[in-house]
Amino acid sequence: MGRIHVLSENVANKIAAGEVVERPASVVKELLENSLDAGARRIRINVEGGGRKLIQIIDDGCGMSRDDALLAFERHATSKIRTAEDLLNVGTLGFRGEALPSIASVSRLRLETHATEEASGSVVEIAGGKIVRVEEAGLPFGTSIAVRDLFFNIPARRKFLKAESTELSHIASVVTNYALAHPEMHFELHSAVNAIIVAPPVASHSERIYQIVGKETLDALLPIAAQIALDRTGLPQPPPWSRKYEDEEEEDTGPTDPGELRLHGFVSKPEVQKLNRNSIFVFVNGRLVRDRLVQHAITEAYRNIIPPTVFPVVLLFLEMPTAEVDVNVHPSKTEVRFRQQSFLHNFVRDSIRAALMKARPIPQFVAEMRANPTASPSLTPGAKMKSDERAETTVVDELGVTQANQEFALHAQSIPAFTQSLGFQDGFSVEANAAIPVARFGPQTFGSHVAEDNCSTPIPEELAPDDTPVLATLKPLGQVRDSFILAVNHEGLWIIDQHVAHERVLFERVLRQRQTEKVEAQRLLMPLVIELTPSQQAAYIEISDELVRNGFEVEPFGTRTIAIKTAPAALESTQIEHLVHELLEEFDREEQLLNMEMIGVRIAASIACHAAIKVNTPLESSKMEWLLKELAKTQSPMSCPHGRPVVLRYSLKDIQKAFKRI
Amino acid sequence: MEITVSKFDLLKELTATQGVVERKTTIPILSHFLFEAADDKLSITATDLDLGLRTSCPAKVKKEGACTIPARKLYDYVKLLPDGDISIKALENHWVNIRSGRSNTKMVGMARSNFPALPVFPTAGVIKIPAAVLRTMIAKTIFAISSEESRYTLNGALMVLKPESITMVATDGHRLAHIEKAHEAFPDVSDMRTLVPKKAMAELNTLLNSTEADVVEFAKDESTLFFRIGGRVLTSRQLTGQFPNFEAVLPRDNNKFVTVRCEDISSAIQRVAQFADERSGAIKLKLDKGGITVSSSSAETGESEDQIEATYAADPVVIGFNSQYLLDFLKAATGGEVRFEFKDAQSAGQLRPEGNGDAEFKYRYIVMPMRI
Ligand SMILES: Nc1ncnc2c1ncn2[C@@H]1O[C@H](COP(=O)(O)OP(=O)(O)OP(=O)(O)O)[C@@H](O)[C@H]1O
Ligand SMILES: [Mg+2]
Repeated sequence: MGRIHVLSENVANKIAAGEVVERPASVVKELLENSLDAGARRIRINVEGGGRKLIQIIDDGCGMSRDDALLAFERHATSKIRTAEDLLNVGTLGFRGEALPSIASVSRLRLETHATEEASGSVVEIAGGKIVRVEEAGLPFGTSIAVRDLFFNIPARRKFLKAESTELSHIASVVTNYALAHPEMHFELHSAVNAIIVAPPVASHSERIYQIVGKETLDALLPIAAQIALDRTGLPQPPPWSRKYEDEEEEDTGPTDPGELRLHGFVSKPEVQKLNRNSIFVFVNGRLVRDRLVQHAITEAYRNIIPPTVFPVVLLFLEMPTAEVDVNVHPSKTEVRFRQQSFLHNFVRDSIRAALMKARPIPQFVAEMRANPTASPSLTPGAKMKSDERAETTVVDELGVTQANQEFALHAQSIPAFTQSLGFQDGFSVEANAAIPVARFGPQTFGSHVAEDNCSTPIPEELAPDDTPVLATLKPLGQVRDSFILAVNHEGLWIIDQHVAHERVLFERVLRQRQTEKVEAQRLLMPLVIELTPSQQAAYIEISDELVRNGFEVEPFGTRTIAIKTAPAALESTQIEHLVHELLEEFDREEQLLNMEMIGVRIAASIACHAAIKVNTPLESSKMEWLLKELAKTQSPMSCPHGRPVVLRYSLKDIQKAFKRI
Repeated sequence: MEITVSKFDLLKELTATQGVVERKTTIPILSHFLFEAADDKLSITATDLDLGLRTSCPAKVKKEGACTIPARKLYDYVKLLPDGDISIKALENHWVNIRSGRSNTKMVGMARSNFPALPVFPTAGVIKIPAAVLRTMIAKTIFAISSEESRYTLNGALMVLKPESITMVATDGHRLAHIEKAHEAFPDVSDMRTLVPKKAMAELNTLLNSTEADVVEFAKDESTLFFRIGGRVLTSRQLTGQFPNFEAVLPRDNNKFVTVRCEDISSAIQRVAQFADERSGAIKLKLDKGGITVSSSSAETGESEDQIEATYAADPVVIGFNSQYLLDFLKAATGGEVRFEFKDAQSAGQLRPEGNGDAEFKYRYIVMPMRI
């Protein structure tokens, strides 16, 4: 009996239509999703020639009957939905009935399948969309699909394919992503010469991460998990006087459980900084999506923790009732639309933020050198990994000194180069030694900052989960160039950037004061009259309320001129004009809509930055002690409001290693 | 060049010039003294390009000439020499030989021609200002100069000379110190306004504190200010820019007065400020018929209050201030009684010393309130 049926024209027309097969990786994605929908536990993929020559996927899923095996290649033939209403409740990865016919029309495809309930299996061969062979055969349960000579009948398409290694790296990321999402399953990806991924089932996501991307990356990640009832969220609350009535009504009709929104996964510590979003993976009900709303929520969560120009590593699984999310948005099925957008956005943002706050991670010296995007060319997309690049670092901006330290002294311990690795163009790398069951990927595929051999890298000491903050135990020794405080405690040697440290202290204080409406403001002797450009004027109108809440008192003073009469107490009067101009410039440039809270945060960051102790300022030791003490009290002592690191730690272990004592 | 000079005389002048020698310079010659010997006199010059100081001491000149010597090293060395005569002799290739008793040292300087030429003291338009007057005026205004420069505040003080008075004003945009001395005689000026850089103010202050001279000779040209104090001449680059129109901010209708002893209020503020916000030092002054109540509170440290009895008849008022701003003035006011003159919590407050010995000076301090 067949499972698959052809959708009515009416339903078919409601499906977002368009290109399905763009490149080998999209074939892999579609076939993988089919296998997952078929309930497979074990999936093996073989590719040759970057997927142009061969893509073969073997699963142990439910298989197809002979009739279904033929029907599957009809357009809009699917077993996954039936009616237009079903489109609102899609629980499978596929639902269009488009993938197999589209793939079959641009390749030579051979399907071998054996449904669990059938006596024997079937073989179907199709070339360029035409069935060339159908026969019965004795086959193992499950399905194997081999796609050869992709785009053999569309030479124009073939030409647009990238180098073999590039296509392979795309395929590898697709498989990696799904392997990360399903730790309970067995995944393998093989090229003609290499085992690229071999990942037997494991018990948890973190073990899967360890398997696929290594300890280094896992150590840089923080687990997160949160859930919240979807109970009427996002929908306007009825006024109190009518609520009673509504409750009664609900009882009458019997309440339908609105379900809940669940989130789990991993987010990177602030010291991990990527140059693009390629290490952000978001799964919604098991589907890998590129969603701007979630991306934005992530960026928001990291605001003031990492610089605005870099991105974290994020692996996020969102689960919610299928009715909460519309997957029928884009032909590639990589976009979704949430029913309760702002609720979801804030939930994601706040959950990540909370995890980051709790962890208070500390940048390691070595990690910092590499995490710094300008310092480590191996992080740029397309850069090949070279062992000698790791030591290059460019230091010091405000001090007016720029030095390219070829061998930074703290790097004394040597990190064995990845001599055996193949450097693929996309920064994707494969270990040549196929005997190792799990290959590691380079930076662009996932996570780990640099190809670095695990065995020689000191494992960062776990922070004692003890409640006294480590920073509170620091004893200042002195300053480097009147700009960086050197301090020690039982964990090792620390360097604290005095400006950003003070900036962090002030930032949190300004926010706190603003929240309690207890902003201290200093009146000016003479109003500061500032002329604005038309766009600055527009920006000023946007933020003026928030300026007031932050301690400014500003009056219009003729057209496009304002007079500042009062300013936050932390500022010298000489700094005000510059600060206001800077803020207006910033908000002027910002295209995206800002909410009041974010404007407030920016203003606070700006005030903190101007009021903070500058570099090149000698500090007495009592002042240093005060600063470290205040820093320890902050919520996020490890990065400044603009996301730069505040402290670096050179752990005792690293020191001992560098001196070759261990 | 070859001279003999007494250690005492030399050290005194070297000490006086230390403030001008550039320490962290990237221009090596600026960390040197220029020594010039002629007419039984050793002239010593130091400059950091903003300021220049030229001084001299008596010397036995065997051979006239000039040389440059590393300033810090020489000063440290001379300090350690026993009292007595020191002979200094220029050798070849900028080497200098310094001998005293059994001590014998050679140091290397730089070519004399590298040393920047200092502007020459003008011969005309010299104004004589009593040293004591200038000293007082600087001490009572210098703390209000802001350390950063911007369009609206200048890091310098304004000196106004009129035929019968001298005024000095300094501000950082939050507060303003203003001092005036009448009954002076500057016959050749009508209304001369000069911006004196903070650095020059500080240097003048030190020079005035270590001189017996009664009079400071002051002159200026387009770019330079000149001050001659005894045998020493300080030159300073002029600040360009417009000093804010300070007359406009002097309060005219403050009608709430209270007079207290400087010491009392200053120690009350110091105590209470311990519990104010670390940075802004915000405190509140409450004026009512009991007198002045000083109070503060901060989320981190707690709260504090101090009361000073005084007669006060006007309506009660509470005004916030940066405690440091008040303390700066109270310190400069040096004892006696001070009078607080307020209007309301938004307007400028005025503070001035009442009836102490410096009555010839009209000293006032304007300070803007804080909103706490
Ligand atoms: N590996 C497989 N094992 C069992 N059944 C499969 C497998 N691959 C495809 N099928 C069946 O073939 C049908 C068609 O697959 P196809 O991928 O074309 O469409 P779909 O998955 O339903 O929707 P979409 O186009 O969104 O992927 C599926 O509905 C499913 O019933
Ligand atoms: Mg499918």
